[in-house]
Amino acid sequence: MPHDPQVLDHEYDGIQEFDNPTPGWWHFLFWLFIVFSFFYVMMDFSASPFLPGYKKKYDNAVLAATMKKFETLGDLEPNATTFASFTKSEEWMNYAASTFSSNCASCHGPDGGGVVGPNLTDDYGKNLKKIDDIYTVITKGAAGGAMPAWGQRFHPNDLVLLTSYVASLRGTKPQIAKAPEGEIMEPWPDAPAPVFDEGE
Amino acid sequence: MGFEFKSSGSASQLESFSYDDAIVRKFFWATLIWGIVAFLVGVILAVQLAFPQANFLPQVAFGRLRPLHTNAAIFAFAGNAIFTAVYYSTQRLCKARMWSDTLSKLHFWGWQLIIVSAALTLPLGITQGKEYAELEWPIDLAIAVVWLGFFGTNFLMTLIKRRERHMYVALWFYIASLVAVTILHVFNNLWIPVGVVQFLQTGEFGSPSTLLKSYPLYAGVQDAFMQWWYGHNAVAFFLTTPFLGLMYYFLPKAANRPVFSYKLSIIHFWSLVFIYIWAGPHHLHYTALPQWASTLGMVFSLMLWMPSWGGMINGLLTLRGAWHKVASDPVLKFFVVGVTFYGMSTFEGPLLSVKTVNALSHYTDWTIAHVHSGTLGWNSFMTFGMLYWLAPRLFQTGKIHSEKLISMHFWIGTVGILLYVISIYTAGITQGLMWRAFDESGQLSYPEFIETVTRLMPFYWIRAVGGTLFLLSACLGGYNLVMTWLARPKKYEVPVHEAPALSKVYDDGPPPQSRLTANAGIGHAGDRFLQGHWHRRWERLPVRFTVWVVIGVGTASLFEIIPTFLIKSNIPTISTVLPYTPLEVAGRDIYVAEGCYNCHSQMVRPIYAETQRYGEYSKPGEFVYDRPFQWGSRRIGPDLAREGVNNPNASWHYQHFENPQVFTTGSIMPSYKHLVEGDLDYGQIQSRIRALAMIGTPYGDAVKNAESMAREQAKIIADDIRAQMPGFVLPEDLEDKKVIALIAYIKRLGTDIYRTPEPADAAAEAAPAAAEEGGAH
Repeated sequence: MPHDPQVLDHEYDGIQEFDNPTPGWWHFLFWLFIVFSFFYVMMDFSASPFLPGYKKKYDNAVLAATMKKFETLGDLEPNATTFASFTKSEEWMNYAASTFSSNCASCHGPDGGGVVGPNLTDDYGKNLKKIDDIYTVITKGAAGGAMPAWGQRFHPNDLVLLTSYVASLRGTKPQIAKAPEGEIMEPWPDAPAPVFDEGE
Repeated sequence: MGFEFKSSGSASQLESFSYDDAIVRKFFWATLIWGIVAFLVGVILAVQLAFPQANFLPQVAFGRLRPLHTNAAIFAFAGNAIFTAVYYSTQRLCKARMWSDTLSKLHFWGWQLIIVSAALTLPLGITQGKEYAELEWPIDLAIAVVWLGFFGTNFLMTLIKRRERHMYVALWFYIASLVAVTILHVFNNLWIPVGVVQFLQTGEFGSPSTLLKSYPLYAGVQDAFMQWWYGHNAVAFFLTTPFLGLMYYFLPKAANRPVFSYKLSIIHFWSLVFIYIWAGPHHLHYTALPQWASTLGMVFSLMLWMPSWGGMINGLLTLRGAWHKVASDPVLKFFVVGVTFYGMSTFEGPLLSVKTVNALSHYTDWTIAHVHSGTLGWNSFMTFGMLYWLAPRLFQTGKIHSEKLISMHFWIGTVGILLYVISIYTAGITQGLMWRAFDESGQLSYPEFIETVTRLMPFYWIRAVGGTLFLLSACLGGYNLVMTWLARPKKYEVPVHEAPALSKVYDDGPPPQSRLTANAGIGHAGDRFLQGHWHRRWERLPVRFTVWVVIGVGTASLFEIIPTFLIKSNIPTISTVLPYTPLEVAGRDIYVAEGCYNCHSQMVRPIYAETQRYGEYSKPGEFVYDRPFQWGSRRIGPDLAREGVNNPNASWHYQHFENPQVFTTGSIMPSYKHLVEGDLDYGQIQSRIRALAMIGTPYGDAVKNAESMAREQAKIIADDIRAQMPGFVLPEDLEDKKVIALIAYIKRLGTDIYRTPEPADAAAEAAPAAAEEGGAH
C-alpha cells in the first residue's frame, strides 16, 4: 500500500487501529479451504470411490501386500513335507526370521536359545515330538496360554513358514542356551528344497 | 463518531480510580517461578528418555512426571502468564480497577493452591488418566470455582463496570477464553467419585486413594471424543486465544504503532472461535472414532489455517514502519519470534490434520515437536516479551536491570528451541518411516520395535541439550527480572486516574448506507452488514458479546457431540466383549496411575504396517467398558491394544515389569519394581466395582463379591507364574502383589474379540474363533 491508511478513531489506553482492508490472498485461501472442505465432506460422507474410507483402503492394502508376498508360493499345505522342504529355502527362511524376531524372540530369544519360553535349538521339545507339532503349538498355543495361539494373527502361509523357521533352528548354536525341557524329539523328515517356476 | 453522550450531565462527572497492580505483580512472579519449574521438569523428562536410569523413584518415573510437566507448563506457567496479561490490560482497557480486590486475591491464591495440589497428587499417581485433564475430581471442582467463580465473575463485572465505551479486541479474546475453557473443563470432567459412592452405600469414606479416585461418565470412543474435543481446545482457548489477547495489547504498546487492521481482527476472531471447536477429532484419525467425526476434524482444521494466520498478520504487520525498532528493542524481538512461531505452528497444525500426513506423524515425536514449537516459541516468548515490558512499569524502575541480558536470554532461548524442535522433528519422521518400512520380501524392515527406539537416542540427547539451554535462558531472565525488582522504590506510587462513568444511553451514530448502486435489496443489506456497524455496537455490550461467544462455541460443539452420543451404529456392539473382572479393574487402575498411556498407545489403526506389527486393528466395540479410555497419543514403547493376544505370558510380564532390560536390550522403559514388591489393597476393589456398576457396567455377582473374585483370579495367575519360573525365588504372597493385578489386565488386552461366545468363561484365553468381521487376512 503506497499511502498510510486511515487510522480509526478507536483508542484504548493509547492503542489505535488502522482501517486496513483484510489482505486479498487471505480471503482467497480462506474461501478456497471452505470450498474444498465442502466437496471433501460430500465425497467422504457419500462413500465416493475417490475416498473409499479406512476399511476399504485397508482391505485393499492387505490384499495387495499378500498377493505381492505370496505370488510365487500359492497356498501352502501345512504338512510335514512342506515344513521340512522350506527349511532349505534360504530366501523364505530369511523372510520368516522377521516374523520370528517381531513376535517370538521376546520369549524364545533372538536366536531361539530360550528365555521364558523353551530353547528351540536343542533336541528336546516341551509339547513337541514331530515337526507337525510345531505348527500345532504355533497355531493353537500351549502351556495354558503362556504360549499364545497365533492362528488368527497370521496368514496361513506365514504360519507354515514360521513352522519351518522354528524347525530350522534345531541344531544351531545360540548365544545363550536355556537348559533342555520336555522330551527328546524325532528327527525332522527330509524333503527337497521347494522349487518355484520363477526362473522361466 | 467519537464519544457523544446524550445526557451531557453525566459526561462531566469524573470518577477517580486507580489500578490494582499489586495483583499483577503477584501473577508476574508466579509466571516466572512456575515457568522455570515446568522447564526443569521438561529437561528431566528429556534426560529420562535418553537415559532410563534417571527414572530413579516411582514418583518421578516418566509416566507420572510427564503429566506434571504438561500441567505445569500449561496451567501454571501459561495460566499465570494469561492472568498477568488479563489483570494488567483489562483494567487499562476498561479504565477501571478490577471489580473486586478480594476476588482477585482469591483467584490468585486459589490458582496457586490448585497448582501445588497438582504437584502433590500427580507424582503419587492420583490421576484421571486423560491428557491435560489428569487432575482428580476435587481439584477439578476447585478449578471450576476459581476459574469461573473468582476469575470469571471478577473479569465480567469489570467489563460491566468499565468506563471505556467499546471493548478492544484483546478483551474479546479474553471473553472467548473464559467462556470456552469453562465449557471444556466442565464437560470433559464429568465423573463419578468412587469414595462418594462408597459413602452413600456403606456410610464409610474408605482410604484416601478411594476417596480421590473417579471414573468418567463416558467410556471408550465417547470418552476419547470428549477428551480430544477438550484437549485440542485447551490448546485453542488456553494457549491461543488468551495469548492473542496478550499480543493485541502488549505488541502495539511495545511497538507504539496502531494495530494493522480492525476488520481483520473482527473476521479472524469470530472465525477462530467458531471453527476451532470442531477440529478436535483430528487427534483421532484412523482410530475407532467414527470416520465422519474424523473427517470433520480434518476439514475444520484446514479451514482454521487462515483464521489463525489472521492473528499472525495483525501482529507482524502492526510492526510495519517499526522494523528498525525490532533490531534495537529486545522486547519486540521476543514478540516477533513468538508471532512467527505462532504462524509456523498454525500452518503445521492443519498439515498434520490431513489424514494421510497424520497416518505418518501420529504416535511419533513429530507431534511433540509441533507442540513445543508452539509452547516454547509462541507461548513462552510472548510471555517473556510481556514480562520484560512490564517489569520497569510494575516495579516503577523506569528501566530493566540489563538490556544485554535480555538479548542473551533471547538468543540462548532461540537456539534452545531450534535444537529442540529440529532434533525432535527428525526423530519423529525417522521413527514414523521406520514403523511403516517394508523390505523386498514384504516383511517389516524393522520388525523389532526397539530398533526404532535406539535409533532416536542421538536426537533425544540433542533435545535434552536444547531444553537445557532454554531452561538456562529462562533462569537468566529470572535473574534479570529479580535484579530489576531489587531497584524498586521503597513505596510504589499509585497514580489516580479520572474518567467519566459510562452513561446509560449511547448513540451508535447513524447506521451505514449501502454503497451499492444497483437496486437489489439483499445486496444492500449485505453491504451494510459488511461495514460492520453492528459489530461496533456489540463491542459496547459485553453481556451480549459473551452470549454470542457461548452460542458460537456451544453450537459448534453440539454439532459433533450429539451425533457421537446418539448414533448407535457409530459403535457396533461386539457380543464377546465383557466387562473387566474385579482384578483387571484393579490392574487397569494401576496402569492409569502409573501413566502407562504416556508411552504406550492402545489403538491399532487400520494400516497394513500396523496390523503386521501388532495384529488386528481395534474396533469401536472393544472399548465400551474402558473408563477412562487409554488410547494414548505417543508410542515411546509399542502399542498394547493386542498385548493380551500377542504376549499373554504372565511370567514374562512379571520379569519384564521388574526389569525391562532383561528381555529387550536398549529398552528405555523404567523398572516397576515397586509393583512387584508392593501389596495390592484388595479392600478397595469392591467400591470401585460398585461405582462402575452404578454408571452402567453390567457387573452381576461382582457387585457383591468383587474382592473374593479378585483373589481367586490372582491365585491362578500367581500359580501360573510359579509354574513357569521353577528356578526362581518368588515371594510367598505373590498373589497379593500389585503386579499380579496389572498382569491380569495386560493379559486381557485385545483378547475379547477372539473369545468364543458360548461358554461365558472369563479365563478362556484367545479361543480360536473370531467375532465381528473375523481376522482381516
